[in-house]
Amino acid sequence: MAALLVGLQLRQYGRTLTRSPWAIVTLVLAVLGALGALGLVATTMVLLRVTLPQTGPDAVVVLGSTLVVGWAIASVLISADDALAPERFAMLPVPARRLLPGVLLGGAIGVGGIGTLLALLLTLIGWSITWPALLAAALLLPLQLLTCLLAGRALAAALARQLAKRSGRDLIVVIGSVLGISAGIVVVVVAEGVRALGSTDSLLGAVAGTLAWTPIGAAWGVPRAVADGALLPAAAQLLVALATAALLWLVWAHDFRSRLTAPIVSGGGGRVRSGAWIDRLLPATPVGAIAARGLRYRLRDPRHLVNVIGVVLLPLLILGLNVVMGTTVEVELGEGVADLGAFGDVGPMLLPLLGAIVLMSVGQLDTAYDSSALAAHVLTGVSGTADRAGRALGMIVLFGPLLTVTAVVTTAISGRWELLPASLGATLGTAALVIGAGSAISPWMPGQTPAPEASPFGTGSSGGAQALLGALLMLLVILTAGAPAIGTALAAAWFPLLGWVSLAIGLGLGALAIWLGVRLGGRALDRRWPEVLAAVTREH
Amino acid sequence: MLPDATAPPILSLRELSKRFGQTLAVDRLSLDVPRGSLFGLLGPNGAGKTTTLSMATGLLRPDAGTAVVDGADVWADPPAAKARMGVLPDGVRLFDRLTGAELLRYHGLLRGMPEADVTARAGELLAALGLAEAASTLVIDYSAGMRKKIGLACALIHAPRLLLLDEPFEAVDPVSGETIREILRGFVASGGTVVLSSHVMELVESLCDRVAIVAQGRMLAAGTLDEVRQGQPLQRRFLELVGTQALDAESLSWLRSS
Repeated sequence: MAALLVGLQLRQYGRTLTRSPWAIVTLVLAVLGALGALGLVATTMVLLRVTLPQTGPDAVVVLGSTLVVGWAIASVLISADDALAPERFAMLPVPARRLLPGVLLGGAIGVGGIGTLLALLLTLIGWSITWPALLAAALLLPLQLLTCLLAGRALAAALARQLAKRSGRDLIVVIGSVLGISAGIVVVVVAEGVRALGSTDSLLGAVAGTLAWTPIGAAWGVPRAVADGALLPAAAQLLVALATAALLWLVWAHDFRSRLTAPIVSGGGGRVRSGAWIDRLLPATPVGAIAARGLRYRLRDPRHLVNVIGVVLLPLLILGLNVVMGTTVEVELGEGVADLGAFGDVGPMLLPLLGAIVLMSVGQLDTAYDSSALAAHVLTGVSGTADRAGRALGMIVLFGPLLTVTAVVTTAISGRWELLPASLGATLGTAALVIGAGSAISPWMPGQTPAPEASPFGTGSSGGAQALLGALLMLLVILTAGAPAIGTALAAAWFPLLGWVSLAIGLGLGALAIWLGVRLGGRALDRRWPEVLAAVTREH
Repeated sequence: MLPDATAPPILSLRELSKRFGQTLAVDRLSLDVPRGSLFGLLGPNGAGKTTTLSMATGLLRPDAGTAVVDGADVWADPPAAKARMGVLPDGVRLFDRLTGAELLRYHGLLRGMPEADVTARAGELLAALGLAEAASTLVIDYSAGMRKKIGLACALIHAPRLLLLDEPFEAVDPVSGETIREILRGFVASGGTVVLSSHVMELVESLCDRVAIVAQGRMLAAGTLDEVRQGQPLQRRFLELVGTQALDAESLSWLRSS
């Protein structure tokens, strides 16, 4: 049975790959990302082994605990896409206990599972300080992998009933996106806090010592205790690790068994507020209707909401980071040429520019997010220009004010109000360039998005290779056509009046870019409607 | 009203062909739909009905052949042809994060209708199809039958002269099904034309005045109901044309033993 289920999972992978060459490219990108992470683990392990051999075990305990937490979070985020969900076996006369091992193994087939296994193998380098520790670690490796897999399954199972409601799923998506966007920054802030608290070594030891006794770290605590020659704690931690795995298994198996006989049916979310103000705000024409639909989707569809949150959150998070580590940044910059003194103020001013750059995927992938619903535009005979103009208008109405507020907030925190026009010029100008370029590019390279109702973190969430290519093209546009507005905005740090020039250039060039993008994209769309529809309809 | 045989057909497909990889989905298919008819497009699963309708409505570019709606070529002059058609596609998502009322308004405005007309007609359509209660529920939370009905409403809102409906009765409950039948009969009585695809013989026999039978991408028979039936029940004539899979005595014998 296990072999059958693993085979099923493998065949599903294979089919996806043979159906679209872009899926292969996406897989290659994911593998490259995983290899990068593995390279980091390998380098860290080797470096620690050579320079600080006694720290290795501590680092591995922290890494292991992170893996378990990571699996738990990731499983909840992508649980909507579970190809081996219990409901799919509900009609078969097979008891849960015969399905469970195969489902667990099947879930490990993939970049995440294989990457985790390789990472665990790499940690053996860290354990090679003593023979008993290495032996213990090698013996416990299956348990460690099992803990990762089960942590994911168990948490997803425990939350399954909540996730079955559309409102629950939407909420998970929003929380997940905020976590994802802020993950890197949280790490830096924590690291900074650690640095402020004292020496990294002793703290790592203390953290590892604590984690080794917790369910998430115990499986890695055992070899660490063995390395120290503390056999009694090692035995106790082994108990904790085994109990954890057993408990996780029970939680998951119980949920699996009950869902075989009482499948969870995805539920709806009831009525929604009408948002009639959107219809009053925008004209009752095809362009206005498309803009209004875009606005509603940006607020109602979690896949779009994630992007909206990203546009605002990213600049504010970096700003927050800047405030936390403010002194270090200024000291480092202060050591440069004296002229750079003003540069410290330019940083916050240009932060909303990051939000404008996040818009790159929004503009290009907007059509792809519609999936086959785009057929409505084809059937009603909407002109390509109206389609492009409506989408652009919807983005301007939402992101224009959002980016303006972000610019005002960052300026207020930096305290240099005279730079507000420069900040607005660089931000709004770049945003408009990106929207215009996206409008022109997307009929040719619509890109990939997660399917409607699928998890925004599952397949296609990176936008695929077309999105990568599109982003490169748009970066080129920003670096060339965006240079005047951004350049004058930078110069405004020394000559504040140039800020107004930046604002004028930004808005002027931006308007031109949107007009051009709508014209070019619209003409391409009129010629390519069926081809674009086919491209965005294809399941990835 | 009887279809006028001398008037030019409202929908005219000529030699339409479409190939997907190795499969020839539609093979030089030609079809004329006279004005004012209620036309049933019949065929087994995978016969090419949806592919044909997609090529007739501008969703799928044909490899060869033409589709002309009321004098306008779908692929040479799409805006003119599309303005004359109302389409209920099958297997295509709706903009389902809109409520039923918002989706209807969206389709109306995309068709370039004045706002006042859109609002009035949307209200009437929702009431007629029994969707008034669900007007402010997201379409994503609709049942399959409700989605068919809101899709039909979207196809009707601009009062087209030709309706192309792919499986309009699938998953629709009997009460709503009767409502839809009444709407279609009234639409045809006032001079409109309906083309609907189905594989339910009884439904087509009771509703349509003209039928065409398609299998493996080719047109096997087309004409008035009586011409195609040739005095037999439609079901038997259909099987005669499409061919049955005769079960020999041995096959599936294990199913009968227990």
